[in-house]
Amino acid sequence: MNCPLPQAISPKSTQFLPFYTQIRTKSSIFDCFLRLNLSLMSIFEYNGSAIVAMVGKNCFAIASDRRLGVQLQTVATDFQKIYKMHDKLFIGLAGLATDAQTLYQRLVFRLKLYQLREERDMKPETFASLVSAILYEKRFGPYFCQPVIAGLGDEDKPFICTMDSIGAKELAKDFVVAGTASESLYGACESMFKPDMEAEELFETISQALLSSVDRDCLSGWGGHVYLVTPTEVTERILKGRMD
Amino acid sequence: MTASESMPHKGGFSFDLCKRNEMLAQKGLKQPGFLKTVCFDLLRNNDLGYFYDGVILGADTRATEGPIVADKNCEKIHYMAPNIYCCGAGTAADTEAVTDMVSSQLKLHRYHTGRESRVVTALSLLKSHLFSYQGHVSAALVLGGVDVTGPHLHTIYPHGSTDTLPFATMGSGSLAAMAIFESKYCEGLSRDEGIKLVAEAICSGIFNDLGSGSNVDICVITKGKQEYLRNYMSPNPRTYISEKGYSFSKKTEVLLTKITPLREMVEVIEGADAMEE
Amino acid sequence: MESVFGLVGKDFAIVAADTSAVHSILVHKTNEDKIMLLDSHKLMGASGETGDRAQFTEYIQKNVALYQFRNGIPLTTAAAANYTRGELATALRKNPYQVNIILAGYDKEIGPSIYYIDYIASCHKLDKAAFGYGSYFALAMMDRHYRRDMTIEEAIELVDKCIIEIRSRLVVAPPNFIIKIVDKDGAREYAWRQSIKDSPVPAA
Repeated sequence: MNCPLPQAISPKSTQFLPFYTQIRTKSSIFDCFLRLNLSLMSIFEYNGSAIVAMVGKNCFAIASDRRLGVQLQTVATDFQKIYKMHDKLFIGLAGLATDAQTLYQRLVFRLKLYQLREERDMKPETFASLVSAILYEKRFGPYFCQPVIAGLGDEDKPFICTMDSIGAKELAKDFVVAGTASESLYGACESMFKPDMEAEELFETISQALLSSVDRDCLSGWGGHVYLVTPTEVTERILKGRMD
Repeated sequence: MTASESMPHKGGFSFDLCKRNEMLAQKGLKQPGFLKTVCFDLLRNNDLGYFYDGVILGADTRATEGPIVADKNCEKIHYMAPNIYCCGAGTAADTEAVTDMVSSQLKLHRYHTGRESRVVTALSLLKSHLFSYQGHVSAALVLGGVDVTGPHLHTIYPHGSTDTLPFATMGSGSLAAMAIFESKYCEGLSRDEGIKLVAEAICSGIFNDLGSGSNVDICVITKGKQEYLRNYMSPNPRTYISEKGYSFSKKTEVLLTKITPLREMVEVIEGADAMEE
Repeated sequence: MESVFGLVGKDFAIVAADTSAVHSILVHKTNEDKIMLLDSHKLMGASGETGDRAQFTEYIQKNVALYQFRNGIPLTTAAAANYTRGELATALRKNPYQVNIILAGYDKEIGPSIYYIDYIASCHKLDKAAFGYGSYFALAMMDRHYRRDMTIEEAIELVDKCIIEIRSRLVVAPPNFIIKIVDKDGAREYAWRQSIKDSPVPAA
């Protein structure tokens, strides 16, 4: 599965050549995926993920599942998908894990440069534009990542937004979702969300929305990770989920 | 491989990645789904003896990702210059990026010349960008504005071709909207008649085309004035919210909780006697 | 077919790998060492295309050594894992290496650790990891029998269980395995598990 297929069933027609005449042509990640017979599956579904962010009254919550898989094989159940950019700014990266890690490292780099130059934290709106610009840079060979950004802006006004893998911003007032479980998350959030929830109610709502959604998705789940951010404190909780 | 393909590029753009993506799609790889925006339309009102002379742009507010509605209330009328706005259909990231880029070029141009931007300037910048990308930047635009030479309305296709028209529609809802324009447009509409007509055309897209939906945004540009009427109409309000909301009988099982109090931000007042010595 | 797996014990980490060099339907060799010693306290078990594996692991090994020469201190296991990930990720969009890596190391302050890095450069710290067709069996065995506080003897017993399972249940099972260990005393070869010996070459 995660090793190259044996030569005999490789879709490249090199198996008819004696092995010493094999020529490796220049190939990239895309060819790798073809070789792995991923044709029927989107690259976004390779590792599996579910991310959701919701707005409450002067607060927000962002939650993700915890699985790292390689297609149907589960590799880890403590994988981090939500990253803290600064005290009041979080980003969740759904999609291909390797691109999520690369993208996160690039974002940290850019954020730190900004902090050094400006001697202040980046506003969530600014950060969203930065992420969008970095993604659009790779318009024709994108990072296979769908980011979810959540933060508290000026006067602790909550801000949430998501993007597609080439940086089309989608701002929302209520909730945003991403990942392989996004369809079920849309449904769950659409019915469970209420405007102006207090922190604890928001936590309960986002947790229930996440857990019920990942139960309908094979590729995500195995527990949840929730950050609840108010102007005064950040609460991080690990949720128990189904392990099947 | 032909000789020309193996030659290094002498200049211009490389479309290797596009070629590769096509090849991959042919082999059956599912390409990532991008956000799409679809319907919009707008019209120009040319006055012939009437008092009204301007452009009215309109758009729906649905963004889709495949068959999923990704955003129920997005903004498709983009700012280009104070006197120019632009409706975008196609891949959302492309319409957003291309209009932002040209809008910044226009602003620099205004600083340089000290004059109001002209609609044709925006038109040329947009079409030359789109043409150089040979249609791979999939932005279908309707550009409208009022400058010293009067009101203008143009459509721009992803490959870079353009039209200049008295009324125009673009996107998947364009047929539905055009039907309304074709039957009801006439020269010399007043502002209110124009807005009503555009809203009706958009509504026809919203209700007859699956790719368009939600609300109507309108932007009215006249000499020295522009009004952006965000959610001018909301013909599709939410009807399915439970009044009581949900209550959860069993609490979520939490395995671990970590609470980090945030530091208070300290205001530093500069110029006080802190530096005295 | 290829099987590389590893686990973290009480104060040590173990990596085991098959030792077959296979091409197409042909087995070239049954004593190929696929676990490289990166430095005194690091092991890198790798599976994947033979050439890529040899080139890439050596490249990482030499660069880790270069870092130590230049700076006088070795990389931590986490640093080495992140460096390896970075190199794989850069290559990924140019000319990718088809190698999956299990990086085991021992650091004084942190203790033993194992990093899972696959060929598309996803990196994650794990207690137990496996690659290749053997992973289906090794992961199942380790899920059932693994404990975080295992002694070396217990861990070797578990590794043997995995090897037996691979040999008896995998159609294309490799005959021989090598087991290496890293703990506070350094990285070293621990044992071989051979069911076929390479026939000695007759003297000319």
